[in-house]
Amino acid sequence: MEKLNITYTKNAIDMADIADTTDLITILRKNFGPQIISETASGNEFYLTVKKDAAAKICDCMYHHHDAQLVTMFATDNRKTDGVFTVKYVFSRDGSDAFIILQIEIDAKGLDLERLQFKSISPKIPAANWYEREIQDMFGLVAQGHPDPRRLVMFEDWPEGQYPLRKDFDISSKPPRVKGTYEYKKVEGEGIYEIAVGPVHAGVIEPGHFRFSVAGEPIINLEIRHFYTHKGVEKLFENISIDKAVFLAERISGDNSVAHAVAFCQALEKIISVEIPARAKYIRTILLELERLYNHVGDIAGIATDVGFPAGAAHANKLKEYLMQLNEELTGSRLLRGMVTIGGVRRDLGGAPKIPDLLARLTSFEHDFRHLVDFLFDTPSLVDRIETTGRIYTDIAKALHVVGPIARASGIDKDTRRDHPYAAYSELNFKVFVQKSGDVYARTMVRSDEVKESFSMIGQALQTLQSLQSSQSLPDASIKVDVANIPDGCALGYTESPRGETVYWVMIKDGQIERCKVRDPSYCNWPAIEYAVLDNIVPDFPLINKSMSLSYSGNDI
Amino acid sequence: MFRLLKNTIKSGVVTTKYPKKPDIAPVGFRGKPEIDSNLCTFCGDCVNACLPGAIYLNEGEGSKSGINERIITLDCGGCIFCGLCEVVCKYGAIKLTQEYELASKTKENLTTEIRRKL
Repeated sequence: MEKLNITYTKNAIDMADIADTTDLITILRKNFGPQIISETASGNEFYLTVKKDAAAKICDCMYHHHDAQLVTMFATDNRKTDGVFTVKYVFSRDGSDAFIILQIEIDAKGLDLERLQFKSISPKIPAANWYEREIQDMFGLVAQGHPDPRRLVMFEDWPEGQYPLRKDFDISSKPPRVKGTYEYKKVEGEGIYEIAVGPVHAGVIEPGHFRFSVAGEPIINLEIRHFYTHKGVEKLFENISIDKAVFLAERISGDNSVAHAVAFCQALEKIISVEIPARAKYIRTILLELERLYNHVGDIAGIATDVGFPAGAAHANKLKEYLMQLNEELTGSRLLRGMVTIGGVRRDLGGAPKIPDLLARLTSFEHDFRHLVDFLFDTPSLVDRIETTGRIYTDIAKALHVVGPIARASGIDKDTRRDHPYAAYSELNFKVFVQKSGDVYARTMVRSDEVKESFSMIGQALQTLQSLQSSQSLPDASIKVDVANIPDGCALGYTESPRGETVYWVMIKDGQIERCKVRDPSYCNWPAIEYAVLDNIVPDFPLINKSMSLSYSGNDI
Repeated sequence: MFRLLKNTIKSGVVTTKYPKKPDIAPVGFRGKPEIDSNLCTFCGDCVNACLPGAIYLNEGEGSKSGINERIITLDCGGCIFCGLCEVVCKYGAIKLTQEYELASKTKENLTTEIRRKL
């Protein structure tokens, strides 16, 4: 066994918050000592390089025996420097503010690049399903023993042997289209019909294919097929400069732009190990919560529309519009874009509306919102329709690593803002709301509770901003630290977007982005819809879909 | 039912008279970028800063021989209204305005050009 090389950086971390994780690492060392090749740590990230064949076993042990969840999984192409591909498994233990990043190296020297393999963990950890298929498509590393080895991201017209995220694949190349077929799962039997919906839908939404197998009205199986708008964002990141990459991150998922931009910037700030000014932290928090507000209110409006309750929808949409107008006044953009940058924020909130005026307006919006929620939940025709509809059971949600309000509505007490605090969340008082039933009702409830909490959080943050302004200890109202050189390194950035945990893993080499893995919450939540619709009737599908508020754009990256 | 009616009446009409009555965007709005040809030095900083490549610098040919004109084209069709051009411009020649009514039937109408003879 090689000597362990452990280096702790000075990033201020609370040792109590990561104690669970360090304990787990001690256990791993004890049980799998000879399999661990090297260990490094920086901040709350613990990197363990393990032998290729042992990874599946260690993942299994962490997941099944130590409550560690698979947060994301991805590959990198390090052939230029080390002659290997790596596959990384990012785990986080429930209740601990730390990440364990298990990595394996797949030697590519002198080997047939078409036959590189690693052992699939999907049979044991269902949440790895899409990640492994994505790695197969994008890197050509085969997940050996995967129960469903079909293509995921790439379509049948994409030629064999072309792997876009390999470094030798040129971004400007246009491979020819070839003929191929995609096999859908077959559900057969007397009286069973297939309904194929999409990829083109009624209404201005993005493309996705839904294949229902129905026996009369009840849905007995649903297979979804996505990635029609796969844009190669991760490849694009590797080919643009870092300052421009912030804007790209901001546009990955249109209505979650702040969450994406902040996650990306936080990853870079970790690499540089720079602390952003307190003022910038609070402004970021306010922006993140404003984003949650208009998204959640919009989702509630959508749910009211889909149950056929236009009066409720109109009231909710009115409020959403007011919130977006407030965004526009504060930031110059209805979708809160162009505010976040590496090292802080680009603009102060000190524009036209003064803080007391802002607080008054928010209070009036909150009053309107409470009124709206009472109005909605007092309407029996609405409640009847959403109760017991689209249930996602806790065990399913947990197995698929469902995130965000959907997870919280299914009894999973998980919120990045509390579990992995960032920006100014550690200094705010807030509750995380959990519902047990996992139906559309629970999801609506969780959202409405979160909206109320967001109003309170924005209020707290604004008051702190006001006191920061007047306090003597902070003479300058700096909102940004200058970032000159970005050293080589890698780090995770994470936020809780309105849809849930958004994770970035960024690796910098020679001042360029070497690899940027984006994991949008919808990537975790889409597979859950196949379970949510079971035993429901076809007309409830749009409602269930809306209640899960899934992003196509964030998924098809 | 009574409550529904009450809510509806209480809210009243919230839609505005736009476009009859103009709806002015707030100060600080990130709208259509405009270049002041008097201040612009054709240095090309904005061209390099533009992520989507919506600003480009061309060298035009005059009637007689060779290049004798520089043209900066700004394409609102590709602009993402990030305002980076405004930040990098040392001369304050390019600014994001409060203008947002950009819909057009042709692509050409979305572009603006400024020219300078060398």
